[in-house]
Amino acid sequence: MSEGRPVLIDADVMLGRHPRRDVGGGTVTELLAAMDRVGVAEAVVGSMTSWLHDPERGNRELLGLLAGQPRLSPCWVMLPDTCGENGGAAAFAASAVEAGVVAVRAFPRDHGYDLDGLDAAAVLDAVESVRLPLLVDAGQTTWPAVEALTRAHPGLRIVVSGVGYRMLRQISGVLERTGLVSVGLADLSSHRGLEWLAARFGAGRLVFGTGAPYRDPAEAVTRLLWSELGEREVAAVGAGNLRRLLTREAEAA
Amino acid sequence: MNELTTALWERRPQQATRIVDAHAHAGPYSVFFIPDPDPAGMIAVMDRCGVAHAMLSSHLAIQLDAAKGNAATAGIVDRAPDRFTGYLTVNPWQDPIAELDRWGGDPRFGGVKLHPDLHDYPLTGARYAPVWEYAELTGRPVLTHTYSGSPYNDLPAVEEVAGRYPRATILAGHSGVTPLGIDESIEVAERHERVILEVCGSYNTGADIARMVRRLGSHRVVYGSDFPFIDLRMSLGRILFSDLTDNDRAAVLGGTITALLGRTGA
Repeated sequence: MSEGRPVLIDADVMLGRHPRRDVGGGTVTELLAAMDRVGVAEAVVGSMTSWLHDPERGNRELLGLLAGQPRLSPCWVMLPDTCGENGGAAAFAASAVEAGVVAVRAFPRDHGYDLDGLDAAAVLDAVESVRLPLLVDAGQTTWPAVEALTRAHPGLRIVVSGVGYRMLRQISGVLERTGLVSVGLADLSSHRGLEWLAARFGAGRLVFGTGAPYRDPAEAVTRLLWSELGEREVAAVGAGNLRRLLTREAEAA
Repeated sequence: MNELTTALWERRPQQATRIVDAHAHAGPYSVFFIPDPDPAGMIAVMDRCGVAHAMLSSHLAIQLDAAKGNAATAGIVDRAPDRFTGYLTVNPWQDPIAELDRWGGDPRFGGVKLHPDLHDYPLTGARYAPVWEYAELTGRPVLTHTYSGSPYNDLPAVEEVAGRYPRATILAGHSGVTPLGIDESIEVAERHERVILEVCGSYNTGADIARMVRRLGSHRVVYGSDFPFIDLRMSLGRILFSDLTDNDRAAVLGGTITALLGRTGA
């Protein structure tokens, strides 16, 4: 990485194959090559197995795949504990912390629960209590559910990604009324939307991510580097804001 | 790194390549909020990245009123002729012949824009026949929206009109959008030499674009962004980092569409 270049840390990456598009083998080697191709320094990495097959197995295997990879940090997928799949809400969160997991991702639509419902509340309480950020794609839930989550779990830091280009009316309302909801850059594709959100809510509400390998990481890299944001804002969006989210110690009031 | 990605990392506009965006719009769109959708905001983004020119159809033309919208497109080109060329929008329900008669010979327009999905009318329908006749007569390209699985503009429909009007140049907008659509668009273009793939959309990747160029040649693939519907930089980034030679990248980014327009005198 050249001196003076913005540092990019990707909050939104997956390992594994995808059943509905050719994303290659989804290996660590391929991921690192893709990161190098577009200049991403580090990544928070989830598992396609956790998303699209077996969350428990995917979470467990992910730790092995990322062992000894200093540029890659694991992100587990949560489930509600109504069927005992997590081994208990508190145990899930404690295991995540012990294993070095840095964030938790939810797929409520694909895994069949409501993000703001009673079923997921205990796990979200536990995730909130250990100060792991929650990552969720906009297509997996609704903006009213995200807002309801902030009332039920006021300390939970939430990053909503995959917002596309049709959601600024909803995003703007929720960002206006909440404090700990951020927007991810993966497919943040409204014309000048990045600049508009930064001007209205501050660059601190935006977190770099690519959605790779399903999405081409070149999109988010180009979007940020050729944005109309200043250097300090790019540094914050590219890495600083995510680093802050991944810090589990509570910030001084 | 190539010269474009070097400029990107230095956060300055690129100057190595004349980039022409073959798929743009302008103005507000009721379905969702667009910050700064007007031409001034579009030019600001073009200047930020080093995009020289864009071919556009106003949102008014594709969404509501082709006649008023085409006049709006012409006005945009009037105010910035070095930055924009128009697509004449034909809505099959709003007197196609009148629009072609009014704007078909106007130098502010370089081609025709069709959006069958928005107008609930199939690309193969008889109301579009004057467009294809115009395209065959003038050589001007027709940019049509495509989407795999759509009842109005999927890739078999493109193939049908390409077979029916073999001298018409068809820009397959979005190249079918989805992973399946991208595969289908390549296959249709392989069978019809005047089908050109335009690459904007929400699911395309640099790997897909490199595959298009390998299968068809860079003279059959053109950069488009769909801005200000979608931010211009999303599609541009895929091409910047894609596995293409410098010559092929320059062709996709602008050379191919410039040659197509030059051939028609537009």
